[in-house]
Parts: sequence; structure tokens; C-alpha cells
Amino acid sequence: MRTDITNILPEECISYILSLTSPTDVCRSKLVSPVFRSAADSDTIWGKFLPSDCYDIISNASSSSSSKLLTSSMSKTQLYFHLCKNPIIIDNGTMSFGIDKATGKKCYMLGARRLSIAWANTPRYWRWKRVPESRFSEVAELKEVWWLDVKGTIETKILSPNTTYVAYLVYKFSSSRYGFEKKPVDLHVELGESDAGRTFRIFLDPSANIPQFSREREDGWMEVKLGEFFNEHGDDGKATCSLREVDNYTLKKGLIIEGIDIRPKDSR
Amino acid sequence: MKSYIWLQTVDGSIQQVEQEIAMFCPMICHEVIQKGMGSSKNYAISLPQQVNPAMLSLILDYCRFHQVPGRSNKERKSFDEKFIRMDTKRLCELTSAADSLQLKPLVDLTSRALARIIEGKAPEEIREIFHLPDDLTEEEKLEPLKNATDDPRIRLLNRLYAKKRKELKEREKLKNVEVDEELVDDRSVDDLLSFINGDDGDSKGIKTSKSKKKNRRRKDLLKSTSAHEATKNHNKESNGLNSVCRSAEVGQIPPGVGATTNLQDVEDDIFPNKNEFDDGDIDDEIDPTLKEKIDREVEDFARRLNSDWPERMQEILSLGQEKKPVHLSLNGKGS
Repeated sequence: MRTDITNILPEECISYILSLTSPTDVCRSKLVSPVFRSAADSDTIWGKFLPSDCYDIISNASSSSSSKLLTSSMSKTQLYFHLCKNPIIIDNGTMSFGIDKATGKKCYMLGARRLSIAWANTPRYWRWKRVPESRFSEVAELKEVWWLDVKGTIETKILSPNTTYVAYLVYKFSSSRYGFEKKPVDLHVELGESDAGRTFRIFLDPSANIPQFSREREDGWMEVKLGEFFNEHGDDGKATCSLREVDNYTLKKGLIIEGIDIRPKDSR
Repeated sequence: MKSYIWLQTVDGSIQQVEQEIAMFCPMICHEVIQKGMGSSKNYAISLPQQVNPAMLSLILDYCRFHQVPGRSNKERKSFDEKFIRMDTKRLCELTSAADSLQLKPLVDLTSRALARIIEGKAPEEIREIFHLPDDLTEEEKLEPLKNATDDPRIRLLNRLYAKKRKELKEREKLKNVEVDEELVDDRSVDDLLSFINGDDGDSKGIKTSKSKKKNRRRKDLLKSTSAHEATKNHNKESNGLNSVCRSAEVGQIPPGVGATTNLQDVEDDIFPNKNEFDDGDIDDEIDPTLKEKIDREVEDFARRLNSDWPERMQEILSLGQEKKPVHLSLNGKGS
């Protein structure tokens, strides 16, 4: 006579075993049986999957952020799923923090104000404005420029260890876009001081028959991959991500930048 | 002179074990020190019921090895790797037994081994390994997926499930109204569903002409909805399910009444942008349209319960961060 293990193993043991798997495995295990379902909702599990410094990061959230109040009353399980879907704004509103659902690893978006954008403070070239669909208070809109140089850096020590991260420029085009179909841009990511990094050259606004490297995000913005890097222990200094077109011959217009999104590489 | 601790397992048998080995288990340690038990046969420590003689023997082997202080980490690791080579059922029993004795290092060891077994497996595979019955209710299987990234496909699925659940409840209620005994209360949701899943046969021939018409109209409707990616592969599955749905209705449920009220909601919820529909479809009679919608949902529902599901669930969950090209393959293993 086959006995099922739920007669043998108490639910807490099942929860402990599940906590040793992965977030994806735990979600899937909810379809196994009622006991697994119940065991999968335990704070023991999701507390383990949350980044260890999660609460510290939240406490540094902008005080105007309503997330702070909301998250302080949540269970670990609720907090995990909340952060997967609702990044919180930290660091004086210049960055957002969230979690990658499948792995529990940290994700950050550097807001436009946090990036180094050449000529960004010259109103003739760039404009700063509020848009409702941005998570940040301001986005940068390109009026016109010849020298396009957008760069963002992130300290590897705030990232999750042993993770390959991918950086994306999060942007849109306005109706006055120009130049990006004529001239390709250089996308580059490098890690630390000694890494030369890799550069890709692509058309951001390709004409027909030219490959499109950008894709639409769920929040309605577009994103294009700038590159990737592997963060081992967080002691490699900064990762630098950039998009540039600096041949100085082509006028460019109409690029709206929300920020640079840095998240774990999809492991599939 | 060696000291021994007396232990009694749940089957009544008593044995003596060297003190330093037995005391490696916190629970036994506690009994000896706090309660003064275990010093003689008459005062044998009663072990928890999870610790049968076989489990006790394994646990003592573990303790016997690890309580020796001089061993290197490499030796310990090597021992552990060999030690946990046993079938899954034993691993579970051992986890439970070690847990009851509060022997954390062993609980960790066996739990990790079990975690490695579970990792990456689909729910049916896990059920297979652990001999678990498939006893989640349809309600539970249909529970809304945690839509962590606001994926519109997941939102649609959740809405479809909500409608399915509602409709199941309607069916239950309407069946209860019927005088026909054999079919009323006994027909559980499970039965209805296995009927849908299994029975493709009889009424197929009779229904084909209507099915074709439905397929075409369904295609029209599907093309014009924003959520067509999630539902587009239904056409093939329609035949068997149409007939089943029809015969289920004709036999027991007074058509039109309960179904009508239910499905007004369906239209609004699942297809909020009515403007996207071809006008031709809306001009049709209410009944066929509604029935078609039930059919579509039933197909979808039945599909969710076959073995495609875990792969798709995994896909959907992993889709979270990166937006993949539009066409999510839902057709899995086909009909």
C-alpha cells in the first residue's frame, strides 16, 4: 500500500525543504497537492528568498513613498510578491529597487536624473519633464543634439552576488524623433576599472529590413540591451553602462529616457 | 566503564545505546539532563512515534560517525553523501524522525537531498515520486496565478478562471434543481471534468456542421480581441468539447436561463473592449453566442487541466522579467 509523504512529513518539514529549492519551484509546487499548497505559502520560505538587506533598503526609501508604509505591514510572503511587481523608489527618488520573481535577486533602475547625460542641463538640447507613465518624477527628453552620450553606473556591492546582470536603456521616442534611423548608436557595458567591456552598434530606430533590437516592456516603455556583466562577490567596483553616438555629424532628436534598468539575466 | 542510555521506540522495543552517541540528539539530551530519564530499562526514554527501529538505527549510525570530534570536513562530507543514498520514502521518514529528535544537521542533510529531487520537476512528476493523489480540487487548481509582473496574458487567464469557477457553481446549482437522481448531486466537478477530458466520441458526428460554423465565428472573435494570443489555439480542440458541453446542457440544465445571466458578465469581463468585435457577431442571436463562449471557456478549462499546464505555468512565471516575442505557445502536446 503506497503511503503518501504527507502522512510522513509534517508541513513545516515540507516548507523547509521547499525553502531549499527556488522561487519558481515553490510556485510550481502549489499545484502538487493541498499540503504542498499550504506549505508553499509559508513565511519561512519567502523570507529566505528575500534579499538579506531588503528591509534596510526599504527603510532608505524616499519618505514620500507610500510603499514604505505599505511594506512595513506586510508578511514576508506578501512583501516578496509585492516587490516583484512594485519597485520602490529609493535614494532621493533617483533609483528604484525591486526583486526578480524567479530568483529573488535584486533589480535596480537608475533614473534619468542619476545618469550622466552630456548637455542634459542645457535647455536648448535637453528638457526635463514629468510624465505620468514614469516611475520617477522626471524623465529626460532630447530636443536636439549632435553629441549623444548617456552613461549610468552602479556599485556592484549593492547587487546580488553570483549573478549575471543585464543592463537595458529604458526609453521612448517622441513624435519628433530624428537621426536614429540614419546613424547607429554604440551600446557598451564594462565592469570595474580594468575591464574593456563590449560594445555593440545598432540602429535604435531601424528602417524596414534592418534588425530591431529594442522591444516593448510591460510598463509601456521600450528597452534596448546595453550589455551584461557577471557580479561575483560585489567587490568589482562599478559597472558602467552607456549609449553613445558621438561622431558629431548627425543631428538627433526625440529620444525620451526614463533610465537604465539592471536586472538578472533570464536563465532560460 | 561505558555509560548507556535506554531508549524505547514506538513499537515497544527497548535498546541501550552508548551515551555519547545518544546524547548527540538534542531531544534525548534534554530527556536525560532535564528529566533524568534513560538511565535504566524501566526508565527508558520514549522516542517520538516517527522514530521506528529502522529509523533509529539509521540515526544512530549518523550520530556514531559525527560525534567523533577528530574527523575532517572532507570525511564528514564524504560520509554524508553516501549516507543519504536511499529511496525517497526513506528520506522522508528519516527527515521526519530526525526532526522529531531535533537533530538539525541530519534534517538539513535529508532536506537538501529532497530539495534536489523536487527542483525543476513538474507537479505530476512530484506527485509520482511521492505517491501523492491528485486531490487538489478544481477550484484550487484554478486559483489565480500570482501575477507578479502584470502580464496581460495572466490577467486574462485569471479572468477566465474566475468565469469558469462561477460557471461551475452555476452548473452545480442548476443540476441540483433537476429531478433526475443519477445526475444531480453525485456528479462532482471532477466527474464533469473527466467526462470533458475523456469522452470525445459519440455526438461528434452530429455536431460537426455546427462546430464548423462556431470555429469560423470563433476565429473572427479571437482576431479582434487584444488578448488573442492566449486563446488562439483553441480551434482544434473544439469538436469533442462542443458535443460534450451540449449534451451536458441538453440533458440536465434548462438552457438559457441560468446561463444567460452568467454570461452577460463573461462578455463584459473578458472582452472589455467590445468595440473591437466585428459588428456581425453581435447582431447574432443570444443563445449561440453565449454557447460559443461557454464552449471556448470549457476548452480552455480542460486544457488547463491536462499535462501542458506545468510547462506553461513555468513559462508564464519565467516570462516575468523579460518580455518575449508575442506568440506564447499554448498548444503544447496537442489534443
